[in-house]
Formats: sequence, structure tokens, C-alpha cells
Amino acid sequence: MLRFGAFFSVPSCHPTGWRHPDAVPEADLGFRHLADMARIAERGKLDAMFFQDSVAVVGSNVAYGNKPFNVRSGRQAHIEPVSAIAALAAITSHIGLISTCTTSYNEPYNLARRFLTIDHISGGRVGWNLVTSQAEDEAMNFGFDRHIDHAERYDRASEFHDVVRGLWDSWEDDAFLQDKASGVWFDHTKMHILNHEGRFFRVRGPLNVSRSPQGRPVVAQAGSSAVGMNLAARTADMVFTAQPTIAEGQAFCRAMRDLAAGHGRDPEHIRIFPGLMPIVGRTEQEARDKYEELRELVDDATGLRGVARLCGGLDITQYDPDGPLPDLPPSNAARARQDMIVAMGRRGMTIRQIGRVLGMSQAHRVAYGTPRQLADDMQEWLEADACDGFNLLFAHYPKPLEEFVELVVPELQRRGIFRTEYEGTTLRENLGVPFPENSFRSRQAAHV
Amino acid sequence: MSSRPMSSQPMSSRRQLKLGAFLSTPGNHLAGWRHPAAVTTSDMDFKQYAHLARLAEQYKYDTIFFQDTAAVNGSRALAGGDFTRARLSRTVKLEPTALLAALATITTHIGLIATMTTTYNKPYNVARRFASIDHISGGRAGWNLVTSQIEDEAQNFGYDEHLDHAKRYARASEFYDVVIGLWDSWEADGLLRDKASGIYMDRDRVHFLDHEGAHFKVRGPLNVARTPQGRPVVAQAGSSEAGRELAAKTADVIFTAQTKLQEAQAFYADVKNRTARYGRTPDDIKIMPGITPVIGATEAEARERYEELQELLPDDLALQSLSHISGGLDLTKYPLDGPLPDLPPSNAAKARQDLVVRTARERNMTLRQIARHTAAGTGHRVLVGTAEYMADELETWLKQDAADGFNVICNYYHQPFEDFTRLVIPELQRRGIFRTDYEGTTLRANLGLRVPENRHTEARNAAAAEEMADPRA
Repeated sequence: MLRFGAFFSVPSCHPTGWRHPDAVPEADLGFRHLADMARIAERGKLDAMFFQDSVAVVGSNVAYGNKPFNVRSGRQAHIEPVSAIAALAAITSHIGLISTCTTSYNEPYNLARRFLTIDHISGGRVGWNLVTSQAEDEAMNFGFDRHIDHAERYDRASEFHDVVRGLWDSWEDDAFLQDKASGVWFDHTKMHILNHEGRFFRVRGPLNVSRSPQGRPVVAQAGSSAVGMNLAARTADMVFTAQPTIAEGQAFCRAMRDLAAGHGRDPEHIRIFPGLMPIVGRTEQEARDKYEELRELVDDATGLRGVARLCGGLDITQYDPDGPLPDLPPSNAARARQDMIVAMGRRGMTIRQIGRVLGMSQAHRVAYGTPRQLADDMQEWLEADACDGFNLLFAHYPKPLEEFVELVVPELQRRGIFRTEYEGTTLRENLGVPFPENSFRSRQAAHV
Repeated sequence: MSSRPMSSQPMSSRRQLKLGAFLSTPGNHLAGWRHPAAVTTSDMDFKQYAHLARLAEQYKYDTIFFQDTAAVNGSRALAGGDFTRARLSRTVKLEPTALLAALATITTHIGLIATMTTTYNKPYNVARRFASIDHISGGRAGWNLVTSQIEDEAQNFGYDEHLDHAKRYARASEFYDVVIGLWDSWEADGLLRDKASGIYMDRDRVHFLDHEGAHFKVRGPLNVARTPQGRPVVAQAGSSEAGRELAAKTADVIFTAQTKLQEAQAFYADVKNRTARYGRTPDDIKIMPGITPVIGATEAEARERYEELQELLPDDLALQSLSHISGGLDLTKYPLDGPLPDLPPSNAAKARQDLVVRTARERNMTLRQIARHTAAGTGHRVLVGTAEYMADELETWLKQDAADGFNVICNYYHQPFEDFTRLVIPELQRRGIFRTDYEGTTLRANLGLRVPENRHTEARNAAAAEEMADPRA
């Protein structure tokens, strides 16, 4: 069965998609628009809403021309997504609510508390997308001149995760007796004090939130570097990744499941969601027209910066944007995505055209077609073991989300590869990942 | 006894009370949760909070208000193997800023104030979160700025001891400057979203803060645009010298513990007088002491209800109510029927410690008595009597410049809160000293606070005005 996250990068995943005539750019700060979209996504039985985040105005630290800010991009001001999912929890009943929150500029105790709280408010539907901050824009809002080095960031993230997860297990499920007659509020043998002391953190605990209705919030991760994949294999229930082709999706799934098995985990308990921007039309021509329309909307400067990042150090700005893509030195950073642009170049696309494709979807895969064609595409990925589902990027909101729910979801349901009802009321139940036992308790049991 | 006005017609010009519902679930009284009517799940169950918020809004409270501690209360002792605290509620709870965001979606007019410490957070994150909740709620968010004073918290954030009182306040003051500065990042017209030109934001209406101080270095701008009420309301609870000064500079609302009319008047006058130093007026701050109502149809019935709760509280638990102001002294080693011993100076809640010591000395109370007294109100004023008596007391404090309003804190939930709300509020409305409908949809509108001008807009307007006035320009 396919599973879907709706990836929210408000007001549009396409950086300038907010200009589309149907777009509602007020979705950046207007909560009622988010609420409408949550209802649409829940009506479509999607697994989760998945919010991106960054802790800065994009381009605060980068000159565009000789001035700061990318004034054409819509992602400049938006509701802080952890607050957004808390609010959405109160007005939805089944859909998962996942938000990004950085390990670089937060304290584990505070983060553990907030996500577990929202898990209670939502009745067990929350997920934390664990990231490390990599944008220079962010560092200077937190007293640093530069962002932290990659390896250091991941070491911190790994320890951060362990602290958060330990705090989430501070209380066993039945710790609170609340016995009015005897006057006993909690059973202290079911309280666990973490007493964590590590390289980055010293945290005593216990957390002042009881255990989650789904055991613990779901943990999602997006790192595709070797270090990132290893952290995900050890800790993540869900992985968000950019994979341009079925072959690469298969290789990524195999690698991730092998790594998970290496950590003693059941490889099926890690759900892999490549990103996908679906553009649906009632006819193939309509879909193609929409695709072209969105590609034309890409701001060239944004698109060309996207290409430049994948050129393995070659200064692409020295080349004619309307000419062909030159041979590129290999990129260590984003190998898979470099392969994707090389393939586009071979198909005869110019640098500007490639930039427009990258620029419309944050370099995730774009597919356009009729509901049947899109269903074929996704079914092929699923049956080839190249994914467990997709994180869907919509060029703008709310119409493309609405069209996916109204046109594509029924086609997938008809084929029997997507749910017609939610399996349960928690995110874990819907993702099909197990309710975890309290780790302190399993440790104690092991000692008996 | 009563200063009740002769006319029952509300006069719009008359000063009116501000009321906050300080939701200390499942009960502020240490044994409150054991009352037969107490809803013990009201610490973690969102539905219970939703019920209380809706009731408060139906009766036109200005705001709901959540305190906070970033630790399990008493966790230091628990970690050390002392499990006394296992008999007290308020161990776990919903994190209040997440709770505010959720409550914003099921309410429309009531204010939403939560505590968030300046000691263990970063200003960019705090500014962002409250600005976001202000957007979600349409302008009803408030931040209760505190410094962390509980030893229990320090060890959850890598410290052995909590910060010294003076240092905490210096940090808090700078923290406030950064947050307020970040809230002014965007002028009102900073977001253009102009589809035709493709320009999303007006670069000239978005500003870097470039703050560099002793505690923080923050560039900005905030990635949330100016909020529906200009910026969130700021509340403060400090009553010490440093706390009062910070409040005079920063607070729109002050939450304080005052138990006696004269002392409350002195506090009120002192804080309001200090505002001038910061270019503010006395009306810019609303002072709201806490009260804990114990209501009965008769005074005797109210008294009985008070005693009923007190009987549910063993002495050793009552002593817990003094633990965070004892200055580290282990009070369990002292005879319960002896006097309250001299306490070493507290690095924590200085003003609260003074209040407890003064009360014990003045009334000649034993350790047992002061512990039980404190447990019943956690230092706030406990009003035991009829609804009419409560209304009289609140009215007196309002008219005699001891308070602008009150935070209502209940011994347990929901019953005492429902009683106060359904019995006392209509009486206050009859007397014309409480609204019968909301003045507006933002917290500032309801509290009667000005919408602050964005500093960059103000500077530009001032420059433009000067240019106009200067004929040579």
C-alpha cells in the first residue's frame, strides 16, 4: 500500500508558485488556509501533513544583486510549524502532523516537551522531523557567525535524539494512579530519571509530560549523506528523500533497510518517502500545459542557483544559460541530484531549462499526467520497492492538493493500493510502524 | 462593608475589572486533586482545557493564563530518592505554548497568555512562537516573561544550579529587548504578495535587528510578519525590586501575589510611578493580583469547603508548599508547632519568600499553620465567602487603586472555577464593573492597551514630518 505525506512549504513548494493565478499566498500566515488544507488532506486519507522549517528569513545572509533577501520567493514569513501542528491537532482527527524542528538551535528538554504535548493534544498523531541546520541564514539569529560544521552538527543531532527519546520514556504508560482515596498521584517505580551526560548535553529529567498515546512521537529524517542515512537508520520511523529515478529509489531503499538491520531494527519499520511534485490534468495535454505554466513561473535567478549548487565546484555562472550543460566534475554533496541534471542535459535541455525544473520543486522529482498516468507512475515505484510512499510537494496551495485528493486518490483506491479508511487514530497505526515499548522498562525486563 | 453603587445601570465610563483565568489544573491547592469533584485528568487532557477555555470566553474573561516550569516539580528530590512528591499533582502537564496554539482554534475573543522562561530559551525562538500564535489567534497572544527560579529546572539544561537572581534579570531584560526588536522586523506593509510584479516582500519594509549585547547576538529579521495586534502582549510576574523595574519597562500586564489592601496599593502605586522612567503611562500596565475563591451560599458553607480541602492535606505535604522559598533550608527538621525558622536568603522567588515570612511573623503562625496557609493559596489571596462578598472585595480593590483586575486561581478544577464564573461574574456585571461583551477581537483591545507603533515606521514618519516642517528641505 502507498502512503502519503503532504509536504508543506507555505505559501508554495515552488518558490515562486505563489504567483500562480489560483495560488493563495496568504497561506503563509493565515491559519484558516492551513486549516482548510488540513481538512482536504484528511478527506483524502493522507498519512500526514509534513511541515518544512527554517529559522530565518531566507536570504538574510546572502546578497541578491547587492541587497539582502530573495524578494521573489514566497518563503519569507510563515507560521512557526510546531505551533501550526498544535493548532491543527485541535481541528483534525486522523491525519498525522509532522513538523521539522532543528537540533542545532534548540534544547532537547524543550523540544521533547513540545512534541510530546502535541502528541497528547492530537491523540497520538505527531511526528518530529529531526534536522540539523545548514543555512548560514540561521546561524546568525543564534549568536553564531557561521553554521556548525557538518560532522559536528550530526554528532550533536545524534545525541540530541537520544536525549529526546529518553525523555519521552520518562513515565511508563500506567505511572499515574491519581488515587484520591490513598492520596497517591503517581507510582514512583514507573518514573524514570534519564541522568544523561554526554558530549553536548547534560539532562537529568524526568520530562514533565506523560507518555504518548502512540508510545512516542514518530521520528522523521531527511539526511541523505552517509552520516545522515546512518542516523536515520538508527533512529527514524520515516525517511524523506529526493530520488530522481526508480533505480536510485531502489538502491536507496535497499541501503537504508540494510543499515537499519545493522542497527538491529526490523527493516520494514522504516518508511521511505521520496519527494514528488505531482501535476495532474484531466487530459495529458492539460497536465502538460500546467507543467509548462509552472516552469515558466520559475524565477531564473532561483533556478540557476539551484543548478550551480550541483555542479561539483564548476562555476556555472561563466556559461551561457541558454547553452548546453557542460561536463561536470563529480559532486560529493548531492550525487543523486547531479545525476538527475546530467540526464536532463543529455535530453537536450539548456542550463536555464534545467534550472527551471529544479527551481519548481526544490529539486524533487516532478511528474505530470492524467490521474491514471500518475497512478501508473506511483504504482511502478511501489511495486519495484523503490519507495513506501511519497512526500507530495504542491506547487502552490490549495488547488493542486485538492486536485490530487479528488482525482488521483480515487484512482489509487480503485486499484487497491491506497487506503479507503484510516487504519487507526494514531500516526504509528496509519504508517504501520509498531507501538514502542518504554525503553527503561525493556531494559529492566532484560535484567530480570 | 460594601461599597456597592446604588445604581445597577452599568456606566460605560466607569473603570472596569480585567479578569484572567489562571488555569492551574488539576488544582492549585496541594490536595485539590483529591476532592471528590476534582477532574484529575485535567492536567493532560486537552478536552478539559477546551471546556474551561470555552466557559471563560462565554463569561468574557480577558484572558486565560498558564504558568510554567520546565521540570517536574520536586524532581531534584525525586532524583535523590525522596518520593514525597508522588502524592502531589501537577507533575506532568501540557506545554503551555503548544496548548495556546491549540486553544486559539476553538476560541474567538479570549486572550491566550503563557509563560515561557528567558533562562532556558533563545530569543529568536520565543519571538517567533508568540508571533505565530498571535497570527493563529487573530491577535490574542501574550507572553508571560519569567526568569527560571526553580533548582529543578537547571539540571534539565546542563546547569547544576540555577542562575543568580541579578544575572537572571539582566539576561531577561536583554532578552526582552531582542524579542521586542524582532517583533518590529516587519512593518505593517512589508508583505506585498504582488502576483503581477512577482515581488513578495518589500525589502525596504523589513529590517535587520543586528543586536549585540552581553548575552545575545541576534541578526534578524524574524521570519514572521507583524502580528494582528501589532505585537503580542507581554506579562510579567516579578515583584522583587529587580522584577518591578523590569515590569515597569516591559510589562503590559503584571501578575502578582498581594494579600492585603494596603500592600497592594503600595505595590500598585510604586509600579505605576516607575513607568514614567521608560516613557510609559500608568495606564500602559494592568496590574492583576491572584485570588483563590472558595465560594459558598453562606459564609459558613464557604468556610466548611475550605476546611474540607485542608483536611485532605497531610502536614508533610503542606510543608512542600514552602520548599521553593525556603532558601535551601530543610524545614522537615523543624518542629511543626514551633515558629517558622529564619530562612536563608532565597536566590529564587525573593518577593514570595518575603510575603510568606511576613505573614507568619505578623500573625504569629506556627510552621504548621504557615505551611497549611500557603498550601491553600500558594501565596495568593484566598477569599472565603459568598459571591457577594467576593464581588465586594474585588470592587474595593479596584476602586481603591490596589488592582486593575485579578487572576482567578482555583483549588481544583472544574467546580470552583465554574462557581466563581457563574456566580461572581454576573454580580460584577450588575455593578457595572465588568464587561458584558468583548470590546474587540484582540487582547490589546480587550485589555485597553495601545497598539504599539512599529519603530521603523515611527522613525520614518518622524523624519518625513520633520522634512515637511522644515521649509528649506
